[in-house]
Amino acid sequence: MIKVRIPTPLQKLTNGKAEVECSAKTVAELVDVLDKDYPGMKDRLSEGGKIRRFINIYVNEEDIRFVNKEETSLKDGDAISIVPAIAGGNWNSTSSQLAASSASEYDYI
Amino acid sequence: MLNIKRSDFEVILAHCRSGLPNEACGMLGGRNGSVEKVYPMRNAKPGPDYYEMDAEEQFRVMKDIRESGFELIGLFHSHPTGQAYPSSVDIAQAYWPGTELPNYPDAVYMIVSLMDRARPVARGFSIEEGRVQEVKLSVI
Repeated sequence: MIKVRIPTPLQKLTNGKAEVECSAKTVAELVDVLDKDYPGMKDRLSEGGKIRRFINIYVNEEDIRFVNKEETSLKDGDAISIVPAIAGGNWNSTSSQLAASSASEYDYI
Repeated sequence: MLNIKRSDFEVILAHCRSGLPNEACGMLGGRNGSVEKVYPMRNAKPGPDYYEMDAEEQFRVMKDIRESGFELIGLFHSHPTGQAYPSSVDIAQAYWPGTELPNYPDAVYMIVSLMDRARPVARGFSIEEGRVQEVKLSVI
């Protein structure tokens, strides 16, 4: 069996379970198997057959992007971690929104 | 409230300054609302208005936090030219793609503004389902 660590935002789909077990030969197959057991999982994890950007999947400790992506092989005893990326930035920032909103206020005056 | 020791706070500020002119980022491990360990991290896609943690480093740090008996209680990043407030990108990225489910509901998002280089401003926020609320930072 393969152990899959489920991140908090997906635990609603697994009835609160933080770890589930399943069998699959590749990451792509794992997504299908998880979706069968926990409907909605496929849509959360992938888009058009590809793992969503900003979702990191690790087989044991390796990021699948540096192995074989969705086709990364899995074997009995593997531990899978699904981890949302951490990103952000000041693009379209609050300050520019504030600047924009005061500019539009100014337009009305 | 998030308690941070003065020495840890200085580590965060130094890391944010060292990243200039780009954004800098990192994680905070701790428990019971107190930061116990600061993890300055690499910005894998550095820009003056963007950060993205290196995926492998993120995994290693999250493991270290767990194995140290801590929880991921905070995430920090800098805004080199913006206010210490979550931007629309920060808020969008705090949610699972395509949902309003927070990725790290128990983590305080700490933002360090370096608009005034001599006087950085740090503020903390919780980003929950559709809601941003300030969390007081207490530097002790």
